[in-house]
Amino acid sequence: MTDQGDTPFVGSGDADLFGPDPETDSLAYYAPQAPAADLYSSSDPEIRKAWHDLARGFAGQCHGNLHLLQDYLDRHVEDLGLAFRMTGDEQERPWPLGPMPILISGAEWEEVTSGLIQRAELLEHVIADLYGEQKLVSDGHIPAAIVSGSNDFARRMVGIRPESGYFISTYAVDLARGPTGEWRVLADRVRFPVGIGYAIQNRQALARATGGLLASIGTRQHSGFFNALRRGIAKPCRRDDPRVALLTPGRFNQSYPEQALLARQLGFSLVEGRDLTVRDGRLFARTIAGLKRIDGLWRWITTRDLDPLNFDARSQIGVPNLIAAASESLVLTNWPGSGVVESRAMPAFLPRLARSVLGEQLALPNAATWWCGGEKERQFVSANFDDLVISSAFRRPITGLPDGHTRPGASFSSAERAELARGMAVRPMDYTAQEIVHLSTTPALTNGRFEARGFTLRAFLARDENGDWAVLQGGFGRVSEQGDLRTSLMGLGDISTDVCIIDPELPAAPEQVLKTTPREIRREQGLLPSQAADNLFWLGRYGERAQQTARIVRVLVDQIAMSGEAPVGSTTVTRLAKLLTNLSAIKRPGKETSFIDMAGQALGDTRAAGSVRNLLQREQQIALILRDRLSRDSWRAVQRDMPLFASGDIESLSLACDRLIERHATLSWLLSDGMSRGPEWQFLNMGMSIERASMILQAAQAIIPGSASADDLSALLELVDCQSLYRSRYLTMPYIARVYDMVLLEPAQPRGLAFQIGKIEKHLNAIPTLRTDGMPEKPLRAVSQLRAKIEGTEATQIGPMTLEEFRADLADLSEAISERYFLQADRSNEVRTKRLF
Amino acid sequence: MRYRVRHVSKLAYDAPVARARFNLRLKPRLRRGQKLESESLRLSPQPSTHEDQRGPYWVKTTQVGFDNPLETLEVASEFVMDVAIPVLPTNGPAISAVRVEAMEAADLSDLAPAPYLFASRITTMSKPITDWASVHLLDEADILTAVGSLMGALHAEFTYAPGTTDSRTPPEEAFASRSGVCQDFTHVMIMALRAHGIPAAYVSGYLLTLPPPGKEKLVGADAMHAWVDVWCGRELGWIGFDPTNNCLVTEDHIAIAMGRDYADVSPIDGTFIGSAPQSMSSAVDVELFR
Repeated sequence: MTDQGDTPFVGSGDADLFGPDPETDSLAYYAPQAPAADLYSSSDPEIRKAWHDLARGFAGQCHGNLHLLQDYLDRHVEDLGLAFRMTGDEQERPWPLGPMPILISGAEWEEVTSGLIQRAELLEHVIADLYGEQKLVSDGHIPAAIVSGSNDFARRMVGIRPESGYFISTYAVDLARGPTGEWRVLADRVRFPVGIGYAIQNRQALARATGGLLASIGTRQHSGFFNALRRGIAKPCRRDDPRVALLTPGRFNQSYPEQALLARQLGFSLVEGRDLTVRDGRLFARTIAGLKRIDGLWRWITTRDLDPLNFDARSQIGVPNLIAAASESLVLTNWPGSGVVESRAMPAFLPRLARSVLGEQLALPNAATWWCGGEKERQFVSANFDDLVISSAFRRPITGLPDGHTRPGASFSSAERAELARGMAVRPMDYTAQEIVHLSTTPALTNGRFEARGFTLRAFLARDENGDWAVLQGGFGRVSEQGDLRTSLMGLGDISTDVCIIDPELPAAPEQVLKTTPREIRREQGLLPSQAADNLFWLGRYGERAQQTARIVRVLVDQIAMSGEAPVGSTTVTRLAKLLTNLSAIKRPGKETSFIDMAGQALGDTRAAGSVRNLLQREQQIALILRDRLSRDSWRAVQRDMPLFASGDIESLSLACDRLIERHATLSWLLSDGMSRGPEWQFLNMGMSIERASMILQAAQAIIPGSASADDLSALLELVDCQSLYRSRYLTMPYIARVYDMVLLEPAQPRGLAFQIGKIEKHLNAIPTLRTDGMPEKPLRAVSQLRAKIEGTEATQIGPMTLEEFRADLADLSEAISERYFLQADRSNEVRTKRLF
Repeated sequence: MRYRVRHVSKLAYDAPVARARFNLRLKPRLRRGQKLESESLRLSPQPSTHEDQRGPYWVKTTQVGFDNPLETLEVASEFVMDVAIPVLPTNGPAISAVRVEAMEAADLSDLAPAPYLFASRITTMSKPITDWASVHLLDEADILTAVGSLMGALHAEFTYAPGTTDSRTPPEEAFASRSGVCQDFTHVMIMALRAHGIPAAYVSGYLLTLPPPGKEKLVGADAMHAWVDVWCGRELGWIGFDPTNNCLVTEDHIAIAMGRDYADVSPIDGTFIGSAPQSMSSAVDVELFR
């Protein structure tokens, strides 16, 4: 079989006289301009068969219409919650995933793999030396300036050795495959293996969208790698069943979604700096059950921000004195300061270092690099300026490259060249140049057609429990029009793809679901950080408040529908509007504002803090922080946005309220259904119950400000959803005392106040106590008192003062809960790290 | 010359702060020609933990921690030091030669040139400062003469104006207004030198409070002072220039620490849970000691 690219009628396998059917094998019409430099066109017959099998499988799945495949895949991407931010983005973007993976033969990958492992070993050695004896510097193998020039060189760490013995245990490498099939390293990433989470999810999305197709062509699985990574971090910890956490900079970080995913996938706790504290050289997480020791920490915070006491005092996201814990027994990875080898100047020295340190040639060359700190190199760069790309060696703004970004030499104007030359004459150490790397192409499926695109891939390595390097069998592929892919994750217009390493002879078993639990079987919930408890509590509160507000709007709309816009003699509409105003769901209405407009505002006005739209937004923001704790279905449900509605249209408003109430019901069911009955569930439910109790009291106060009509009372019953219960019980029009009894006092009525308080008491009883003397803690005492007070109240005695008193007690209870379980000091007064003089 | 240095700092918080941890950089790390005769660092209240460290950079850091809530803190540093009269060279290598030697030094230690060659948090790259300094720092010029001329220009063009800047004012702003205190003078001069490939460091220390009879009182004598150390080639090593007083550093100057910028040597910084201090004060007294 041949495929010259320019002769489309020479097809593959089952070609007949008229060529292959374009509907079933569109890859046969794929015609790259340079077939020898194309991954598919230059592949061996059995690999090429895999490409065709895959293309045919795709075609079969969407009945020849390959456009549909992208839509189908996009839906799976959305389902998985795959998203990312570009720097500066407010909102997350959907992830651009192309359906056609990059296929690499197992044999070719084995060679790449051994080169990657050699490089990891070399970097480990270099880092260990720079933070130890610095012999490579004193012997002249590494110029001192390329070390001290790096922002990641942490002088504070010199002389401290990691507990595990390893400076790096995760490592990512950007690779390019040249036109003749040779692989080159574009960049080393030892600080954070950004993209690893997306590699997992790209595979999951593709595997789901294509059934057993990937397995049928012999694709190697991912799962072994993540088990190795987890065990590699856990093994050096001093305890047998260690607690390992992933330290995130927070939800505004570009790669937060993948950090949350990794934590969930690996069974690590996702923590922020303020969840942690160092005491006596040990690291602890603040949890609802007090301080809990952390044995291993995978940090995703830059060294500079990691520890405000030992690095930059301005950091608000780090953990003060983390370094003290790391120099005692904490397993911290990757070791602070290891990023020093990411300097753009370092690759210039690695070939020589491989020879002197390992006594070997570099098996996987990097793109040829010249550091201008050397006289000869500087001359070479000047002489070959147009054939090179010019970079700032340490990514800082420098003369001639004021934004610090890399540029092709050929793109410089003569004035810019003169400026650059001036800078290079006085500070040559700030400049590096690299050869222009040409890429081989791969068939990418765009707009239903296969097109040749340049690609790069990011490979991932991790140490296993023996300290040996494991390589992910796959990677994070990127195809793009431009080809030069040096930015951290994704550029606009890039498409990510899965990378499949295939062994055509051995069809693999279908991709297994990754094991998320460690070997040990556990029933106790892992530690619940105070901050997570706080967020769960407020997730419950905001969700419930949104729902209750929608209920009020629905009752208001129903009232308007029944009695017209300006009801004569009815107080109900005015009172409901007052209630919405009290809840800040509407801005103080003017004289002209009609009730129907108020209903619309309470749903959708972004200026009113308590509008349903704003409440949903708060709920979604909190959900984002809790991403690693929510099931996929809950996550999807919480992402469902405000229904559309036409303000001023009764029908449409009413429908929107129905939708909102249903959305909430679905969400709370999913949340509850997907959560084990541990502390997470307790806090979520306490939040919901407190909010509901508070809403009931506020509604009762606004609707019965002393006296109330039958209509008013009906509205209140409707709000608390016991209209039908009341009718079935009393068969008459509502009376105040009976309504009070049903809404406030009856313990068995699941939507009433007494029931909420009873629930909160049960939850508080179930949460671990800090006291060893058997006495109840303050929140429990507060809730028991309130329950007793409600039990001792008679409906006929209830007046505005009683309601006010219940509300004050409820506020005290909420305060007691947050004081006891949440990060109190941090809530009122942010942790401050200040330079004093 | 023998000096006794007394430096008392006081912090007061509105409300007690929890888990306070401080870095104190008040103990001198000795340079050539310095001899320490006695030294003490007293804290009130007593810290729960304390630990002395060397570095990073040419600094001694005392890390202290308070387990109980802290409302006020008083730090009193006192030492007696003998400072030898330095022999100041009259001429040095050309700037281009210093540049090459700085790059060739295969050394990362705290007094090596390489750590002081690059931009840092405070001393970033600034095109206005670079351009302003260029006329003084020509390739072929003798390093001592050239740096002296840069310092002279800085001193002449700048107004010493306490209160117009604080410790967080970016040097570029001080440069634009041509005014500031010793910290600003020092940062601007460091940025100018590094932009031309010359290693330069921030030195913190003290001056004699009351000058000997017949000598004029130096500016900056009532508080901690700062000046620039310039690496003038392998042979000469580090030489001090005081841009605030437009003079070379002699036995009048008592250095205690050296870093890339103020942040590396700041006398007190730290972390705590609570609101920032309500008041901070510091008093320095330096006298000749016999």
